[in-house]
Amino acid sequence: MMLSRRAALAGAVATGAALRRSARAADPVLVGISGPLTGPNAQYGAQWKDSFDLALSEVNPTAKYPLQYVFEDSQSDPRQSVAIAQKFVNDSRIVMELGDFSSPASMAASPIYQRGKLVQFGFTNSHPDFTKGGDYMWSSSISQAEEQPGLADFAISGLGRRKIGVIHLNTDWGVTSKNLFVAAAKAKGAEVTAAEGFLPNERDFRSTLVRIRDSNPDCIALLAYYADAATIVRQIRTLALPQPIVAVSSVYSPKLIELGGEAVNGVHLITTFFPDEPRAEVQRFVKAFTEKYNRAPDTFNATAYDTMVLASTLVNRYGPTRAAIRDGIAKVDDVPSVIFGKIKFDPQTRRVAGAQYKRLIVKDGRFQMWQPGAPS
Amino acid sequence: MNASDLGAWFDYTVNGFVIGNIYALLAVGLALIYGVSNLVNFAHGSVYVVGAYIGWAAITYLGTPLPLTILCVVVACALVGIGIERLGLRPLHGSSRIAPLLSTIGIGLVLDQVVQLVFSPDPRAVPMQVPEWRIQLGGGTIGALDLLIAAIGLIAAGVLYFFLRFTKLGWAVRATAQDSDAAQQMGVDVNRVNMVVFAIASALSGISGLLVGMYYNQINPAMSFEATLKGIVSLIIGGLGNVPGAIGGSLILGLTESYGIALFGTSYRNLFAFVLLIVMLLFRPNGLFERGRRLPPEPLTGTFIARARPLHVPRWVMAAVIVFAALLPLTGNSYLLQVGANSALYAMLALSLTLVAGTVGQISLGHAALLAIGGYASGLLALDGGWPVAVAIPAAGLITAALGTALVFPAFRLTGHYVSIATLGIGEIVALVILNWTGLTHGAVGLGGIPPLEVLGVDLGSVEGTYWLSLAVLVLLALLQVRLLNSHLGRSWRAIRDDSVAARSYGVSGDRYKALAFAYGGFAAGISGAITAHVYSYINHETFNAPISILALTMVILGGLGNVTGAVLGATLLIALPEAFRMLAEYRILIYGLVLLLLIRFRPQGVMGTV
Repeated sequence: MMLSRRAALAGAVATGAALRRSARAADPVLVGISGPLTGPNAQYGAQWKDSFDLALSEVNPTAKYPLQYVFEDSQSDPRQSVAIAQKFVNDSRIVMELGDFSSPASMAASPIYQRGKLVQFGFTNSHPDFTKGGDYMWSSSISQAEEQPGLADFAISGLGRRKIGVIHLNTDWGVTSKNLFVAAAKAKGAEVTAAEGFLPNERDFRSTLVRIRDSNPDCIALLAYYADAATIVRQIRTLALPQPIVAVSSVYSPKLIELGGEAVNGVHLITTFFPDEPRAEVQRFVKAFTEKYNRAPDTFNATAYDTMVLASTLVNRYGPTRAAIRDGIAKVDDVPSVIFGKIKFDPQTRRVAGAQYKRLIVKDGRFQMWQPGAPS
Repeated sequence: MNASDLGAWFDYTVNGFVIGNIYALLAVGLALIYGVSNLVNFAHGSVYVVGAYIGWAAITYLGTPLPLTILCVVVACALVGIGIERLGLRPLHGSSRIAPLLSTIGIGLVLDQVVQLVFSPDPRAVPMQVPEWRIQLGGGTIGALDLLIAAIGLIAAGVLYFFLRFTKLGWAVRATAQDSDAAQQMGVDVNRVNMVVFAIASALSGISGLLVGMYYNQINPAMSFEATLKGIVSLIIGGLGNVPGAIGGSLILGLTESYGIALFGTSYRNLFAFVLLIVMLLFRPNGLFERGRRLPPEPLTGTFIARARPLHVPRWVMAAVIVFAALLPLTGNSYLLQVGANSALYAMLALSLTLVAGTVGQISLGHAALLAIGGYASGLLALDGGWPVAVAIPAAGLITAALGTALVFPAFRLTGHYVSIATLGIGEIVALVILNWTGLTHGAVGLGGIPPLEVLGVDLGSVEGTYWLSLAVLVLLALLQVRLLNSHLGRSWRAIRDDSVAARSYGVSGDRYKALAFAYGGFAAGISGAITAHVYSYINHETFNAPISILALTMVILGGLGNVTGAVLGATLLIALPEAFRMLAEYRILIYGLVLLLLIRFRPQGVMGTV
């Protein structure tokens, strides 16, 4: 990991040098990226970088307007993301902004982008209020309003469960997801027996699980990220709770299996990105990514890759100006995407509909497609 | 819910003991250090993380078996402990009591950052090296590792207890704890004793990091803060410096959390832990197991105030700086202005803290909570109450003044370390109440769509507007604070700080004056939080988090405690310089930690001098 971080830094320096060189030749078309390269979320910024570089190396050679990016490290801290926003708005070469990673950092910067008439594309911002910040706030983040009913359906019609105990992360994302999940489960005729919210960095879930157990569910739903999910599932096993487990797409990561070990075998999950999916876009992306970085991509890589392809498409289809991007993003259609198949925005919500969910199960320490009726 | 079911209660009890067992390993080391050095070691959780990563590296790269892994961790962490004592604490001998505490905060920051730089923030799995058999106990199971952790905790506490009571070196340790100068005169090599104690306690902390990492099969650098907090709460419950008490305190904390979850739900767990902390500090500051009403071993005086002549800045220079700052928008560089506005907002926080920590001598480690109260008060008044922004912001300042003072008021009788720990706990409580009181604060979803700054219909949402407003408010607050410090009130504040007993005998009632200081400080910080909320348009319970409290403290010490110009300078330096050195971003928090350490060691009076 150290090596790759160094490589990322070296990449940043190299990009910077390249920028200075080409600035003399002609004004390049730039996208600004505000994201964490250091601090507690640094790994996500590093993942973005890998995917952005891969995407640009594929689209730039044939593009009329080759894109370059400026990555400013915000540490996902609102104090820094607002300063970065001013920097980007001031820099007339920047036609579009991508990020930030967390909702507080992104949404604090939104008023500045809105005033500066620069599109802020928060591709990880699932907070329902993010795109309500103004008509320059757009997102391709998976909508929980779509994902949660999908998860509830997996538990109810897929696994035939009727009484679900929910464990969710107590953050903006987790609470929004939980509310949507509960509503969807009720609409499908199931009962939510208990909903327990936990804090980030918590490690001990034994008492939480006793509460869940005593509410007599026949299924446990996890609305968490992979690291916490691994810990929770391990403790579910030590308490010997027999119920099947379903989990949201954010647990999909090779780290779930590394951190969860044998305990995570049998966990059901849904995901928008699955490297073994035969679809052509997915296979091409997985092959290119693995060749370039010598490891398998995950959902964050796929989302970031899609985002940079979208940015290049917007610039080349509608022109390299801020106004053209703002007009274009509302009507763009048929942009190839690993996650969505094709990207098209709903101009009302400024989000993308129609993510394609795959149902998976962890079996023998690997993610595999889930087969209906197979014993779990 | 069959929470009343006896079987379930048995399970909650077992779970409480299991997690309390884990806290105990941390608390024993903290208690030992406190017992000898009268120091709450805020770097303890960081050593725990170092131990976890060294164990992980030994297993992963060298393939060591468990005994050898433990040996690696013990040796490495003991060396870290010796380093902390030798470099961070021994040079501070003879300085104020709070200096070593601040020093351990700086060391903790540095260690956490070094671990994060070397191993990356990614979570890692620690291979389990303990047999995986489990015993059925009630509705759940406990494993070999639970028993190993309990055994190590109990053996460590037992050995330490006998060591302290019945061996000559143990007597030396206790003599050093009671009066290190007297011990030295009796021929005790105090430095060696301290070094041994730090080595033992740090080794213990490292082992707990390793075992807890195996227990959850997961380690990350961010787990140090939580570990330090839980260890300190256990320590306070058990009684500072009471090694067997620390184990009892840990188990009580574990049970309290587990029963709290049983009664109210998972998201209340930490709220229970911190409320318990405050209750203990107020009613049993010596811990549950201390029979005598021995006064807390704190000096009557002794804030972190190094005597220094404040640097005198001529009035015309100040006026020129203000005029220059006011004209900055003419440059048209909005990035510069945004950084300027951030600096001004943080300077208000620093003004508040420099008054409370410097002038009155109450080192607060939870000052970010005042920003949160101000931000939420103004945001909620404007959003849910429909108040105009120009009215909501000053109202938020007043609310923060009242609420902040009321929250800290019960802690006024505490001194020294106890104040710092209490304010730390209160800061966490405020964040957790914001998170859980969904009906008022919108809970975890946060406050979105907070209206932008505007005064009497004039839109100040542009960066120039934000900058001018923040600057104007800052200048007003700073001038007012200077005026107050030069008045009778300022003299009374400093009198309380310098000798509270003498002040009281002259008829200066400590509590009322402390309340005035917190009220004014709360007002300044509340305004800062309120303006920030309107600039950001979205805040949640994490926007104003614990690292901001530490950053504010660094600003204040950098500028010179109690010094108004110093606070503004400290805030400007620590906000603007990192922007100037963006390439060094990765090392930013490391640099904050080093700045804090070096200041405490070499220039405790700060850049501008203390007042």
